[in-house]
Amino acid sequence: MKKVRLLTLTLCLMLMFSLLSTLGFARATVDVTVLNSKGEIQTQLEEIAKYYNRVTSGVKVEIVPCPVGQSPFERTMAMYSAGNAPTISMLDPADVVRFQDKALDLTAEKWVKDAIERSLDRSTLPNGRVIGFPFTVEGYGLIYNKPILDKAVGGKFDPMSIRTTADLEALFKKIESSGAGALVISPMDWSLAGHFLPVSYTTQSSSSSGINDYFSKLRDGKINLATNKQFIGLMDTFDVMKKYNVDKNDPLSGTYDRGPELLGQGEVGIWFMGNWAWPNINEFDTANGQYGFLPVPISNNPNDYGNSQIPVGVTKYFIVDGEQSSTAEQKAAKDFLNWLVYDKKGQEYVVNQANVIPAFKKVTVEPKDPLAKSILEYVRDGKTLEFMTQLPADHWSVVGASMQKYLAGAISRNGLAAEIERYWSNLR
Amino acid sequence: MNTVKSFLKKAKTFLIFAGPTTFIFLSVVILPFIFGIYLSLTNWDGIASDYRFIGFSNYQTVFQDQFFWNSFLLTVKYVLYTVVFVNLVAFILAYLLTSGVKGQKFLRAVFFVPNLIGGIILGLIWHFVFSRALVFIGKKLSLGIFSYSWLANPQKAFWALVIVSVWQYSGYMMLIYIAGLVNIPKELVEAAIIDGANGGQRVRKIILPLMVPSFVVCIFLTLQRGFMVYDVNLALTDGGPFRSTELISMHVYKKAFLAQEYGIGQSQAFILFIIVAAITLTQVYFSKKWEVEM
Repeated sequence: MKKVRLLTLTLCLMLMFSLLSTLGFARATVDVTVLNSKGEIQTQLEEIAKYYNRVTSGVKVEIVPCPVGQSPFERTMAMYSAGNAPTISMLDPADVVRFQDKALDLTAEKWVKDAIERSLDRSTLPNGRVIGFPFTVEGYGLIYNKPILDKAVGGKFDPMSIRTTADLEALFKKIESSGAGALVISPMDWSLAGHFLPVSYTTQSSSSSGINDYFSKLRDGKINLATNKQFIGLMDTFDVMKKYNVDKNDPLSGTYDRGPELLGQGEVGIWFMGNWAWPNINEFDTANGQYGFLPVPISNNPNDYGNSQIPVGVTKYFIVDGEQSSTAEQKAAKDFLNWLVYDKKGQEYVVNQANVIPAFKKVTVEPKDPLAKSILEYVRDGKTLEFMTQLPADHWSVVGASMQKYLAGAISRNGLAAEIERYWSNLR
Repeated sequence: MNTVKSFLKKAKTFLIFAGPTTFIFLSVVILPFIFGIYLSLTNWDGIASDYRFIGFSNYQTVFQDQFFWNSFLLTVKYVLYTVVFVNLVAFILAYLLTSGVKGQKFLRAVFFVPNLIGGIILGLIWHFVFSRALVFIGKKLSLGIFSYSWLANPQKAFWALVIVSVWQYSGYMMLIYIAGLVNIPKELVEAAIIDGANGGQRVRKIILPLMVPSFVVCIFLTLQRGFMVYDVNLALTDGGPFRSTELISMHVYKKAFLAQEYGIGQSQAFILFIIVAAITLTQVYFSKKWEVEM
């Protein structure tokens, strides 16, 4: 009998100890959740988190993916409403200021001084408070597969030789006669209206205020797109692209995955996309990593603004939650962000594992990815256009539908112009 | 004194048995519903901490919104076709599978399986069928109708939605019809045979009238599901090509969460609620009148 009682006592004690130890353990680690809205680097970010957790005691960084098809804004909003806000959320530039009453003030952070020019534009409030950490610089244009183009032009392809719509058409013809397809247009609404059409917005003026002025005129219904030089020029180029599109018989059936496959395997010479596509192209790469960007020409005058530049800008910001997270969690989140910028290993991971172009001067690691290199060349030559990240949240979806109609030949150019004008003038 | 006591006793019994569910129903259905109506009168964008009360102007915007009504009409069209085809297919299947076909129990299970697959997965499977498999077959056999993806053409994409919905729901409705058919007293049918009624007469005069309760349930379920469909719409067409197959639930969702106009989205949802409630209640009211006493 006594033995049994002793056993019970021991068991009870063991149970209590194990309970206490789990509690103690739980108190010692600080959980930092990061909402990742760049699906293509989910695995890479998880690896970064795994490494960081190993070298940093007491912190557990966890990467939560944002589901495909859901915007980061929708996801973050849902998580806030559920009382389960991520410690760090990766947001699109236009959404950052909407979280101003929830985001932590990051003005005093060290990296604020080291950020490259204009990279904090969309994360700084009018009163000078910085609430967002610029995570990625991205750019887009016509990606080319160099060996295919070398073969088409019969020698070394010079990207500087393409400056006008006519140049581009001549190039398409050469590629086709060399046996490959000229280009593939991926018909996703976010690509057509989030990236392609905005070339006609950003080339309106070389200054931000000039572009903003154009937007307010669009909202007031004072712009006639059918006579707008940049819009006509861009659509002329689009018509040429449509004509040589390998999917022209069934232009809307393509998916994103088809683009990197065709370009990487050399079945087409050109694909309109941005540097985020590198991991996807790399899977199919047959060109030994020789890719680069061409600008999307908007006229037949090689010196026009926009014909030698590509859009480049910060496309994702991190905000740190200041509402639902504890002070310890907020501190851990800030430490993690600093680590990404200042730690050699952190830089290495960000630049070469996640293929992200950082927005900080102090990052010395050079990218190995050819598209990032190409973008850095444009940045160093000062040949960049402003990346239109301030568009209204449903622009890509609504105007994207109109662009798809135009791509499929369901509306005329004037019809497209009217639909775009109507979208802007109906905004509140 | 006695009545108070018995009331307390009744209240206690009620709370014990129905209390938890009533509480949950109130807190997760009724309260959000009322709060939602309140939000439809504000200019909330979905995230900001401060928003203003703006009266009925959201409703005014919705009534003038051409896209909302287009999407609504498309949904009505979709509901019409799915209700008709689902019930037709389901009834025929049920009739065949209660007439003593070989292996009918197995076949019942087979036809029910699609209903066990979630809408998203099912949408993705059919997305593959329509955009890859059929196109492949169509190109090999040079069949014009399948050579291009159905999902890239507004009309065909709509029919793809209808086909998938019919495929998904007819198995479920079939089960309800089978239950109805099995419950028809044998002696009535036998009496009709003895009186010399042929097959068609038996179906028209005996079986259909006795099956009205099943029809009421099935039509109600298909109506309501048709109006509320979202998952298949999302996974199969995602509203495309160019938003031409965007059914009403998806439209409301996009308005509230994508366009960041939560107030307007909420007003659309409330208008939709009233319309759907009116339609389904009318349907139930009228079909109840058709029921016969045995």
